[in-house]
Amino acid sequence: MTKMKRRTFVGMAAATTTALSMPSIAFGALPRVVVIGGGAGGATAAKYIAKDSKGAIDVTLVEASKRYYTCFFSNLYLGDFRAYGSIGHNYYGLAVNHGVNMVHEWALSVNNAAKKVNLGSGESISYDKLVISPGIDLKFESVNGYSAEAQSKMPHAWKSGTQVQLLKNQVKGMKKGGTFVMVPPPNPYRCPPGPYERVSMIAHQFKKSNPTAKIVILDPKNKFSKQGLFMEGWQKHYPGMIEWISAETHGGIKNINAATMEFETDLDTFKADAASVVPAQRAGRIAMNAGVNNGDWCPIVPASMQAQADENIYVLGDASIAKSMPKSGFSANSQAKVAANHIRGSLTGSKVFTPRFANTCWSLVATNDGIKVGANYKATDEKIDKTSGFISKTGEDSNLRKATYEESIGWYSGITSDMFS
Amino acid sequence: MKSKSILLSIFLCFFLTNKLYAEQNQLVGADVDYGEHLFGECVTCHNSTGLGQGIPKITGLKTSQFITKILAYKTKEKENAVMQMVAERLGEEEINSLALYLSKLK
Ligand SMILES: Cc1cc2nc3c(=O)[nH]c(=O)nc-3n(C[C@H](O)[C@H](O)[C@H](O)COP(=O)(O)OP(=O)(O)OC[C@H]3O[C@@H](n4cnc5c(N)ncnc54)[C@H](O)[C@@H]3O)c2cc1C
Repeated sequence: MTKMKRRTFVGMAAATTTALSMPSIAFGALPRVVVIGGGAGGATAAKYIAKDSKGAIDVTLVEASKRYYTCFFSNLYLGDFRAYGSIGHNYYGLAVNHGVNMVHEWALSVNNAAKKVNLGSGESISYDKLVISPGIDLKFESVNGYSAEAQSKMPHAWKSGTQVQLLKNQVKGMKKGGTFVMVPPPNPYRCPPGPYERVSMIAHQFKKSNPTAKIVILDPKNKFSKQGLFMEGWQKHYPGMIEWISAETHGGIKNINAATMEFETDLDTFKADAASVVPAQRAGRIAMNAGVNNGDWCPIVPASMQAQADENIYVLGDASIAKSMPKSGFSANSQAKVAANHIRGSLTGSKVFTPRFANTCWSLVATNDGIKVGANYKATDEKIDKTSGFISKTGEDSNLRKATYEESIGWYSGITSDMFS
Repeated sequence: MKSKSILLSIFLCFFLTNKLYAEQNQLVGADVDYGEHLFGECVTCHNSTGLGQGIPKITGLKTSQFITKILAYKTKEKENAVMQMVAERLGEEEINSLALYLSKLK
């Protein structure tokens, strides 16, 4: 598998813009796929198209960063269950093992008519099929008083990178007996159980080093994912520490003041010593630029993940409207395989199989206390529809919870190896 | 030396039974390309290169072992919510295609 194809060298040198024009000159005859975004959806799609086409398709992955830090397991980093370095991954495996051309630049715009992607460097790359998996952008303005500036005082840490390190420092440095305020996002958003797993991991930190600290969750929703399981776990492991306040109860967050760390609601004004605010979200900007969105997200054809607005573009992961699949890394990975199979079929005539989608999300509540929720999905004409599912039960045996946590570690190693090697 | 050759014959014996099983049972409806495609669903969790921590490795499973395990999840004899859900929608054609593909992996 480690045979170096010629394209690999192009890929590895592609950080320089001069190398960019090479693939089209050298391999003009091959059909070309460009993938924007090397995360859960894009890295998987690039790998599977390149691997399964065995050199018959020229695949270029445009990803701004050289290292991808997963949002999945970033909460475990907050809880000291993972080192930061262990959630970072590089793209060498995609280049070396599968011959994917890596271009570490921002894709600035898409010219749908000319089938070209314009890069930050001023170069452009042409495609026969384009995959867009840019993840999310944050709608800072969705929470009154929150802004790009306020994110350093009240980190959202909802995109991979340094925000999560900042948040961890603030949690660890919070004054003894202080109050941490968490503001989860409104639906729909990336990783439905994520904010509540985050609260669990912060509570785990406080239990060790700041046991009189309090956590207040000011939720814009009236219910949340795995609610019964989280509430049970909080009661069991962190009694009296966490207070969840629903939208109905606080009446809405009227304003946030990052300078005074105050959260004004109808119910009360809450003063925080540290905080995390996760605003509403929308598809990454490049999707808007390509014109494949309808409002904040991108409608897709359920059977193939093609954008409804442009049959040569596929939209994966968080950016897509994949009802009823949640926005998760697992979902993005699953959708990528459906799209890869469809793209290969349309470019090389290989078999296209009936699409199968699946998702499972594991969350950690406390040491060795893992919970999970999952479902199978199929494509109907209208949407990606749930066909069956499961969820952990309250009151489960501690051995089962431990096994569920261990399973999540296996999943992390599995999915990251599936994406990057 | 001797123990090495015993080991080798044991290995060969396992290998041949595995192959024989595949051939004798003829794996009705099996399609290796379909098996490879379906395998994509497995490797989201089952790391094909790692140690199998938390989630067991499935590469290297004998055809008979693979089929027995999947059927045990399908009938819910074996516990694990994720695997029961995975097995639930695998029909004979899917199971046999996966078995065929797995038998061809080194
Ligand atoms: C705290 C937290 C916990 C989570 N836990 C889990 C979990 O346990 N399980 C799970 O399955 N999911 C989890 N998720 C969700 C998961 O991280 C996302 O759903 C997943 O990453 C979505 O994949 P994607 O491909 O859509 O986007 P991403 O993975 O975000 O990838 C997008 C990539 O595109 C790049 N990019 C964007 N625009 C451009 C451009 N114009 N040019 C070049 N590059 C660009 C970005 O740099 C990025 O690398 C969690 C999320 C959070 C925030």
